[in-house]
Amino acid sequence: MNLVKHVLLWGVLSTAILLGFSCQDSKRVDFSTQIKPILNNKCITCHGGVKKNGGFSLLFEEEAFAKTESGQPAIIRGNASGSELIKRLHEDDPELRMPYEKPKLSNEEIDLLTRWIDQGAEWGEHWAYSLPAEVDVPSIANEASFVPESSPSFLKNDIDRFIWARLESEALEPNPQAEKNIIARRLALDITGLPPSQELLQDFENERFTYETLVDTLLAQKTYGEKWATWWLDLARYADSKGYEKDMGRSIWKYRDWVIDALNTDLAYDQFTIEQLAGDLLPEPSADQLIATAFHRNTMNNDEGGTDDEEYRIATVIDRTNTTFEVWQSTTIGCVQCHGHPYDPFKHEDYYRLMAFFNNTRDEDTPSESPVLKLYANEQQKTVDQVLDWVGQYGNEEQHKIYKDFLQFTEPVYKSHFFKEFQNSVYDDHASVVFWDDGNLIIEDAYTNNSSYVYLNYRSHYNGTKVTIREKDANGPVLAQFTINKASENTTAQFALKNIDRKTDIYIETQNDAVAPEVNILNLYWVGFIQDMPGMERSGWSKINSAFIKALNTTAETVPILAENPEYMRRTTQLFDRGSWLTQTDTVQPGTPETLNAWNPDWPENRLGLSKWIVDKRNPLTARTLVNRVWHQIFGRGLVATIEDIGSQSEPPSHPALLDWLALRFMNEHQWSVKNLIKEIVSSGTYRQRSEGTPEAYQIDPENELYARGPRIRLGAEQIRDQALAVSGLLSTKMYGPGVMPPQPDGVWKTVYNSAQWIESKGEDRYRRGIYTYLKRTSPYPSFLTFDAGSREVCTIRRTITNTPLQALVTLNDPVYIEASYQLAKNNYILNNIDLSITKSYEKATLKKITPTRLKVLKELYRNSLLEFSKNNEAPKVFLSFEKQPTPELGALTLVANAIMNLDEFLTKA
Amino acid sequence: MKDNLERLIREKQVREAQAQTRRHFIKSCAQGMGGLALSSIFMGCDPKPSTNTKSTMAFSERDLNPLATLSPPFSPKVKSVIYLHMAGAPSQLEMFDYKPQLHKYHGQDCPQSLLEGKKFAFIKGTPKLMGPQAEFKQEGESGNWVSNFLPHFKSVIDEVAFLKAVHTDQFNHGPAQLFMHTGSARLGRPSIGAWATYGLGSENQNLPGFVVLTSGGNTPDAGKSVWGSGFLPSVYQGVQCRSEGDPVLYIEDPDGITRNLKKSTIDAINQINKEEYAKYADPEILARINQYEMAYRMQIAVPEVMNINNEPENIKQMYGVEPGKESFANNCLLARKLVEDGVRFVQLFDWGWDTHGNIREGSIDLGLRNKCREIDRPIAALILDLKQRGLLEDTLIVWGGEFGRTPMQENRGNKEMAYKGRDHHGDAFTMWMAGGGIKKGAAHGKTDDIGFSGIEGRVSVHDVHATILHLLGFDHEQFTYAFQGRNFRLTDVEGEVIKEILS
Repeated sequence: MNLVKHVLLWGVLSTAILLGFSCQDSKRVDFSTQIKPILNNKCITCHGGVKKNGGFSLLFEEEAFAKTESGQPAIIRGNASGSELIKRLHEDDPELRMPYEKPKLSNEEIDLLTRWIDQGAEWGEHWAYSLPAEVDVPSIANEASFVPESSPSFLKNDIDRFIWARLESEALEPNPQAEKNIIARRLALDITGLPPSQELLQDFENERFTYETLVDTLLAQKTYGEKWATWWLDLARYADSKGYEKDMGRSIWKYRDWVIDALNTDLAYDQFTIEQLAGDLLPEPSADQLIATAFHRNTMNNDEGGTDDEEYRIATVIDRTNTTFEVWQSTTIGCVQCHGHPYDPFKHEDYYRLMAFFNNTRDEDTPSESPVLKLYANEQQKTVDQVLDWVGQYGNEEQHKIYKDFLQFTEPVYKSHFFKEFQNSVYDDHASVVFWDDGNLIIEDAYTNNSSYVYLNYRSHYNGTKVTIREKDANGPVLAQFTINKASENTTAQFALKNIDRKTDIYIETQNDAVAPEVNILNLYWVGFIQDMPGMERSGWSKINSAFIKALNTTAETVPILAENPEYMRRTTQLFDRGSWLTQTDTVQPGTPETLNAWNPDWPENRLGLSKWIVDKRNPLTARTLVNRVWHQIFGRGLVATIEDIGSQSEPPSHPALLDWLALRFMNEHQWSVKNLIKEIVSSGTYRQRSEGTPEAYQIDPENELYARGPRIRLGAEQIRDQALAVSGLLSTKMYGPGVMPPQPDGVWKTVYNSAQWIESKGEDRYRRGIYTYLKRTSPYPSFLTFDAGSREVCTIRRTITNTPLQALVTLNDPVYIEASYQLAKNNYILNNIDLSITKSYEKATLKKITPTRLKVLKELYRNSLLEFSKNNEAPKVFLSFEKQPTPELGALTLVANAIMNLDEFLTKA
Repeated sequence: MKDNLERLIREKQVREAQAQTRRHFIKSCAQGMGGLALSSIFMGCDPKPSTNTKSTMAFSERDLNPLATLSPPFSPKVKSVIYLHMAGAPSQLEMFDYKPQLHKYHGQDCPQSLLEGKKFAFIKGTPKLMGPQAEFKQEGESGNWVSNFLPHFKSVIDEVAFLKAVHTDQFNHGPAQLFMHTGSARLGRPSIGAWATYGLGSENQNLPGFVVLTSGGNTPDAGKSVWGSGFLPSVYQGVQCRSEGDPVLYIEDPDGITRNLKKSTIDAINQINKEEYAKYADPEILARINQYEMAYRMQIAVPEVMNINNEPENIKQMYGVEPGKESFANNCLLARKLVEDGVRFVQLFDWGWDTHGNIREGSIDLGLRNKCREIDRPIAALILDLKQRGLLEDTLIVWGGEFGRTPMQENRGNKEMAYKGRDHHGDAFTMWMAGGGIKKGAAHGKTDDIGFSGIEGRVSVHDVHATILHLLGFDHEQFTYAFQGRNFRLTDVEGEVIKEILS
C-alpha cells in the first residue's frame, strides 16, 4: 500500500518523494519498512499462510529461505542475481513472471528487493510486533522563534512537534487555532458527547478560566463516562438481548453501568482490562469485578429450538477469542481458526492455544445464561453474609469461596442438557429434562464432592414424586431417595446423599403412580454437589443451613458473568481441523503467540495470566491499539488508519514515532490513565486548530492525515439525538438502570417466537441519553441504525460514517426531532421579535453567531411557513399536537428550528 | 517504460479505489480523474452558482451519492435481482423433487447408514421415512416435475432452471438464513443485496437501491442481519419497506406539513449548507446537500411505488393482491414495480414454511398446501408480468429457502406427532432461478431415490452466490472489500458459477 500510494501521489508531491527514493539508493534497505510491505502486498496472497504456491512462503523467515518445490531456495542471501525470486520478477514469459497474472513490480520495488538480497536478506520483525523502548520528540530548530506563520500559537505540547515535523516535510502549515466557541463545542462533544452548558461556555469565553480548566471540568463530568462508554460498548458488543433467532431479552445493563463508572473513575486501563477479562479470577473478587467479566458474556446465546448448545458454546468461545484480539491487539486472529494467518505471523495452533484460555468457563449456551451473578437486596445480603460468616469461621478459604460462589451464582452444577440415556424422560430442548412416571436418566461422569447433600433445581405440577438417585445405573447402590412436591416456580432443594468421593455416573429415576404415564411430573433443570458446609456438628448449623437454602431460592437482579470451571469439570482444548468443531485433533495447552511478548512463568495459565500478558508493558500492540483508537475517536482517523488492524496488512502509521511515543507515554507517564491520554490529545495545538479547509487543502490531504486542519466529523447516532434533546432542554440527566424505550414507529419489533413488546417509556425515560436506549439485536432502535450504529451482535471497532437520504428523513420527520425542534423554538421565542427568536434558536443550537445570510434564509422559511400555517388553521394543531395552543408563529418557528437541527454544522463536530 | 508502468499502476490503483471507500475515491479524483464537476450539482436548485462552486476541482458522482450507478467489470446478464426466500424452509419433497420410491418406503425405519454421523434439529432415535404428501406431474415442454400444491406454476415452468441438489451445512434457521444471504453462518458479513448495491449502485436515485419486503407475519429468524451491510458502509443495507405504517420509516412528512413547506425547509437547509461549504470546503457538506434533495424526491417516489391501488384490475387479479394487507402477493407485485423503477435488489421474505408437524399450520400436508397456495399464483404472475413488460430478461428471480426437509417424518421427543411433518435438512434441497442469462427449462442436479442426498450436480450456497454475482457482471473471486487486513468476498474462499443453468 505504502509504495503504491507514493507512486499515486507523485503528481502532487513528486519532488519530495522522488528525493526520498533517490537518497536511499546507497543506504541499507530496511526489511520492516521497505521489504515487508512489498512482500505483503504483492506476493503473500499466493506465497503465504494459506497458499504456498511452488512450496514457497514469505510469511515466516524459516519458510522464506527454505527449499521450495524446485529443490532450491528462492532467496539466496547475498546473491540477488542467483535468487529465483529476483529472476522471476524480470521474466518475460507471462507464465513464469511474478507476480503471476498481475502487473509487474515497479523498478523501485525490484531494485529494493535486489539490494536487500545482495545486502544479505536480513529478515526483520514487522514494526507492529516490536515496540521501541523510547522515542525522541522531534526537536524544532530554534524553538524560541518557532512560529508557524499561519498559526502563531500552534505549539502547545509535544504532540505538535511530531505533527509539525511531518507538516514541515510536506511544506504545509497548520491552521490558526479555533475560536473559543468553536473549540469549546468541539471539546465538549468529544469529551462528554454533549454541547457545553451555557455557563461553562460563557466562563470560558470571558476568560474566567483557562482551556485546561475547561478540559478538566469536562473530564470530571459524569457525562464523560456516558460518551466514552458508547465507544467501548461497541467493542464489547453490549446489547439488551441475546441475539439469534429468539433474541430474548438479557439483563446485563449492570455491565453497561460498570463501564460508565470505570471510565468516570478513570480506572487504569490495565486494571480495566484485567477486570473485564478475568475479574472472577482475582483474589476475592468484588461484585464490581465480577460484573466487569460480563464483557465476555455479551456474546450471543442461541435459544432457537433444535440448536446444539455445545456448538453455540464453542461459537461463544471463538467469539471471545476473536474479540479479545480485535479489542486489545488490533489483530484479526479469526483467520487462524482455519489455517495459518494469511499475512500476519500467527500459526494455526496459536489460535487454539489462545482459545484454550477461554474454553473453561461455566456458561454453556443455556437459556438461563447461568452463571448469573445475583445482586441481593440489602436484607437478603444480610442472610448471605450470615452464611458466609459461618463458613469463614468454621471452614477454610477454599470452602468460603465455594459457598460464596454458590450463593452468588449457583455454580458449578450439572445442567440438564448434559443428561443422557433418557427413558420416559426427555430433554425438552433448552430448558429442563421432563420426567414421566418411571422416568430415568444418567448424568455421566459426575463428581459428587463427597457431599452429604445433593441439590436439585426443579419445577413440578404434582405432589408425591419419589426420586431415587443411584450410583452408575438402575442396579447401582442407592445414594439418595426423597419425595418432591408441587412447585410452580423454579426451586432449589437440598436432599441427603450418601457420601462418595469419586467421579461416577449418576442415575436418577422418578416414580409417581398417582399420575398417568407420559405426563410431566417433574422438570429438572440442574443437579449440583458441593462440598459440605463446615461446622455441621456445631449447634446453630441447621439454622444457617436453612438460611443458605433460603438465599438460594431468593430472586434478585442478575447479571451474567464469567466463572471458571473447577478442576473436575475442566475441558481440554483441541485443534479444529480447518476450523470445524466437529473434527477435533491434537490437544493444546493455553498459550500466547510467539511473535508477541514473552510469557512470564509467574502468571497463572488462565484468563488472568492472559490479561496480564495483554497489559504487560512489553506487549507491542495493547497500548498502541488503545491510543490509536482514542485518537480515532477524536480526529476521525487513526494514526494507523486501519484501526481494526495493526499488523502486516495495515496501513503504515501516518506518524509512526507519535504513535509509539503516545503508547509509551500512556503506559509510563500516564500510568494507563485514559483521561490523561485524552487530555493530552485535546490539549495539543493540533487538536485546537480551525477545521476550515480549502478545495486545495482537500485535494492535497482529503483525509486530513497530516493534520493541517482541525477535525471535522459527523456526530455519532446517539450524539445526534442527545444533542437535539440537550439544546431543546428535553434531555434527562438520569443515569444507569435498565434500557429505556423512547418512542419508535409501531411495528418495528417483530421477532419469531418472541412476544416481547416495545413498551414506550414514560416521563423522563423518553428523553434519556442514547446509551440507555434498549438495544434488541435483531431490531435495534431504527434511527440509530440509520446513523450507522450497529446491532452489536459482534464486536464493532469502527462505525463507518455514511451520508444518506434516510438520515435526512430521520432528523426531518422523526417525532423525536419535531418535539425537540418545538421545544427549542418555544424556549427561544421572543414575542413580536422574529429575528431575535430565530437568532436565539440558532445560537443555542450551534453556539455560533448567526450570519446575515443564515438569518435571511431562515426568516424566509419562517415567512413561508407562517403563510401556510395561517392559511390552514388545522395545520399547526396537528403539527404541534403536544401543544395546547399552537399558534401559526410557533408552528413556523418550530419548522425553522427543525431546519437548524438539520444543518450540516449541527450534525457535525467542527 | 517507467512512465508506462506508473500509468498502469495508477490506473490499477484507481480501479481499486473505485471499489474502495468513498474517501479513497476522493483521493484518486483529486488527481484529476473523471467525475462530475461541482457546479453541475447546483444547476437544479440554483441557477446562479456562487463563485466558490466554480472551482475546477472535480468529484466523482459517488462522493456525493454513494448509490450512484457503477458498471460491473464484466458484461452483466441482468440489472436487477428479485430474491424470493421462503423462511422456515419449504419441503422440496412436496413441491419439486419428486421421489416415487419414497412412497414405497413410507413408514419404514430410516436406514441407520443414513443417520450415522448426522445431526438433526429435532429428530431423535430412528425416524420413519415418509412418502411425498403431494401428487406430482411433469409439466411444460421441459417436462420438469411439479406437485399439485402449485397448480399455477406449470404456466411458467419452462422459464425456470431448477437446482435439485443444493446443500448447506447449517440446519438451524437463524444461522442457515445468514449463510444463505451473507455466505457465512456467523454474523458480521454483508448480505448479497448489500454486495450488489455496493458494486452497482442504484438505477433510480429516488428509491433505495436494496429493498426488503416481508410477509407471513414475521421477519426472518436471523433478524435484520440477513439484509445487513456487515462491514460495508451502512448505506448499502437493505431498506425494509412495510405494508403497514410508513412504507419506509420516517418517509411521511409530519402531520400538518405540506410538500411545499418541506421543500422550503430543505431549500433553507441547503442554502445554509452551501454557505458552510464555502467556508469549510468539506466534500461531505456537498454530499449532504445532495442527500437532502434525494430525501425530498424519495418522499414522493417511495409512497408512489409502494402503492398498488392504482394498478389495473387485471394485474391485481393476476397476482391475487389484497391491498392494505401484508401479503406475499402484494410483495410480488411491488417487486415488479420496484425493478421496473430501477431498484437493484428486491428481497422478499415469506415466513411460515417450517413444517415440523407440531401444529396444523406447520403440517406437511395441510399447512404446506396453504403456504403454497399463497405463493403459487403470485410467483407465476410475477414471471409472466415481467415477461410481458420485457423486464424478465433484465431481471434475475431466485427462489428458495435456507435448507430443505428430511425424507423422514419428524418424531420430536421420540414420539409420534400431532401432524405430519419433516425436520430440517441441509443435505439436498431445491432452488430455482429464472430470468436473464438463465437456461429456460433446465434442471440441474439429482438426488438419491429418497431425496436424502444429492448424487449429481450438487451445488453449494457459495455456488449459488457465485452464479448470482456472475449474472450481475462480477467475478465472485475478484469482487472484494478490504476489511481488517483481508480482502473479503461474498463467497469466502469457495464457490463456482453453476454454468449448467446459464443460457
